[in-house]
Amino acid sequence: MTTGVSGPELWSRLQFGFTLTYHYLFPQLTMGLAWFLVYWKWRALRTGDARYGQAVRFWAKIFGLNFAVGVVTGIPMEFQFGTNWAEFTRYSGGVIGQTLGMEGMFAFFLESAFIGALIWGEKRLGPRYHLLAAVAVAVGSWLSGYFILVTNAFMQHPAGYRVEADGSLGIARVGAYLLNPWAIVEFAHNQIAALVTGSFVISAVGAFYTLRGLHLGQARVFLRAGTATGLIASLLVAFPTGDQQAKMVGRHQPVTLAAMEGRFAGGPEAGVALIGQPNIASRRLDNRIEIPGALSFLAYGTFQSYVHGLDEYPADRWPGNIELLYYAFHLMITLGTLFIILMAYANVQRWRGRLESSAGLLWILMLAFPFPYIANTLGWMTAELGRQPWLIYGLYRTHDGYSHVVSAGDTMFTLIGFTGLYFVLGLLFLYLVGREISHGPIDVAVA
Amino acid sequence: MIAIWYGAIGFMLIVYVVLDGRNFGVGMLQRLVAKTPDERRQVLAAIGLQWPWHEVWLVAFGGTLVAVFPRLMASAFAGYYLALILILWGLLLRGVAIEVVDHVNDHLWREFWDAVFALSSGLLAVLFGVAAGNLVRGVPLDDHGNFSMAFFTDFGVRGHVGLLDWYTLSVATFAVVVLAAHGATYLTLGTRGPVRDRCVRYARSLWAATVPIFLIVAVESRAVRPDLPAESIGGSMLWLGVIGIVISTTVLVSGLVSRQDARAFAGSNGLIASLLATGGVAMFPVMLHSTLAPANSLSAFAVASDRTALMLASIWWPIGCVLAISYFVFTSRRNAGKGGL
Repeated sequence: MTTGVSGPELWSRLQFGFTLTYHYLFPQLTMGLAWFLVYWKWRALRTGDARYGQAVRFWAKIFGLNFAVGVVTGIPMEFQFGTNWAEFTRYSGGVIGQTLGMEGMFAFFLESAFIGALIWGEKRLGPRYHLLAAVAVAVGSWLSGYFILVTNAFMQHPAGYRVEADGSLGIARVGAYLLNPWAIVEFAHNQIAALVTGSFVISAVGAFYTLRGLHLGQARVFLRAGTATGLIASLLVAFPTGDQQAKMVGRHQPVTLAAMEGRFAGGPEAGVALIGQPNIASRRLDNRIEIPGALSFLAYGTFQSYVHGLDEYPADRWPGNIELLYYAFHLMITLGTLFIILMAYANVQRWRGRLESSAGLLWILMLAFPFPYIANTLGWMTAELGRQPWLIYGLYRTHDGYSHVVSAGDTMFTLIGFTGLYFVLGLLFLYLVGREISHGPIDVAVA
Repeated sequence: MIAIWYGAIGFMLIVYVVLDGRNFGVGMLQRLVAKTPDERRQVLAAIGLQWPWHEVWLVAFGGTLVAVFPRLMASAFAGYYLALILILWGLLLRGVAIEVVDHVNDHLWREFWDAVFALSSGLLAVLFGVAAGNLVRGVPLDDHGNFSMAFFTDFGVRGHVGLLDWYTLSVATFAVVVLAAHGATYLTLGTRGPVRDRCVRYARSLWAATVPIFLIVAVESRAVRPDLPAESIGGSMLWLGVIGIVISTTVLVSGLVSRQDARAFAGSNGLIASLLATGGVAMFPVMLHSTLAPANSLSAFAVASDRTALMLASIWWPIGCVLAISYFVFTSRRNAGKGGL
């Protein structure tokens, strides 16, 4: 059923999965915060209200730390295409290299040229140029997201390629590659998910200051922007973007959809499981409680639609880890639903003018910030586990893509090294961000 | 077309080494030219706000390499596995050190991160030097275009070589001294008072030290690769490189002697660039030489993407370069006074 994974393939997969999951904790906040900085900077310019300028200064410091960790953990991602996935690079580099190269040339140069100006340059450069720097960094970070998602979309749903004489892939239609429908949907879903993370982090800091009775003027700005954007983004991440993403999976990866739902037998009126544990050995979902017809409707538009089951496909096309895929998908959906409820309630309280006096709600907002990170991670686990056993869906198996010349000993050694370094890096990041937050947005004269 | 891409890839790598190499030099020299905490801050400030932009040249090089020479990326990166991962860790520590050192005003904190900065810069200079030595000497490529290499075998330069041997270590020594000299020359521009005086002294003595090391490495290179320069290239390109080296050296020496810091620094940039470019021209079209059999060597023509991919890259790459440089010029002008170029 699943191919036995061991040796260098296992360690390369774990290393890429670990370093990528860790890395993406940082860019999601970078991309989520960037437009808040632009918005506040613009408000500061328009209204002259000191709170907005102060909000930018405060968040720019956290942004800078977050950006730095994103950069230093991002460089290993690109290099691992060569070090750990050499066969994959050899096979598909002529295609995916296009967007990896474009990301460097168009996104990273832009971000890196302006990041210093955004964080340190306000006094020296004046407000207009500072706003420009904020826009440049925001555009750069979102462009980088687009190029990398085009690369991922090619792996999920290859488009615009052709097979060359030597068996490797080459690019045939640039437009089809760069505007892969999968990439468009994935980009929308992923970027809005990053905004959810940004909104929750900003709300959490606002809630913390409010509960502490500190920096109340700032806290109000944070809570307003965080909860308003949080509600809109939580809604959009589910519908239409999440919905479209699921339809995309249903259309192009029906095996994956079946595995995401733990659905072994195909049939019409397929339900979405609310509770249930996949049991691969007996080929069923144990203790199943489901909403009947919901999966048929979500994936194909009518409650009667036929949804394929895993049994209709040979086991060597099944995702390798169905249980993890099932839980990742379901927990993501559960968290996404809770986000909508929480943010809807927070906005109702804000409109009634009661948000800042609702201690219970503020506590929840303060403690909720890790969950969008978890949901983003689960979303990526759904995408990447669901793609298995393929590296490029339907074309090229993961088993064929790792670097055959690199030994298990070498990859295990570097995985251990990355784990240790990233653990220390995480402590350092939390310590420094914690300092900035406890220091607070202080030099403001607003009550 | 493929020759142009060989040049473009080389160009990106050279720009990276010239730009970030000086930061490695600054890191290695920080504790030598700055004796007090305040002086160390001065040295760190001289790196300026633009260092992430320097580093992006390496990242953009990697991405572009996948696009135009995917089979080289696959062979070389997997073959140099441990060395490359060490470079990644060095870059990680170096970047973190520069970013966080000023966040906490505590002398133990600063001392720790200054030390991390110095050590990681030194490690990176050594590793990039070893990598350059490996490119010239070659690697044990088999007839499938694959290799894997231990850190060291018998320290010899033929057959089943390791990453380290007498030749690659010589090149690494040369790289460390040159990049330290480059960093010192750069620091004469960005510092003042006693720090600047020390940088001037270091720049002069380090550049003087490069001369004997260069001669040794040149003789060694001749012994290791008697087949170079490859015959396939016209001599004129090679002569251009040599002329570049001579002019840069003249500019550098006159700048050092007359205490024209900017001129010396221009010479320093030009010298490193023309040394690397000459090496690149001499090896063309081979991108990875095999120490086992010359027939196994990977030439640019064998590892390049197909024509369509190269054409496509020929559209976006120049646009990206122009944009990248214009962002840099724009922000450098606006930042002028704090780091600058």
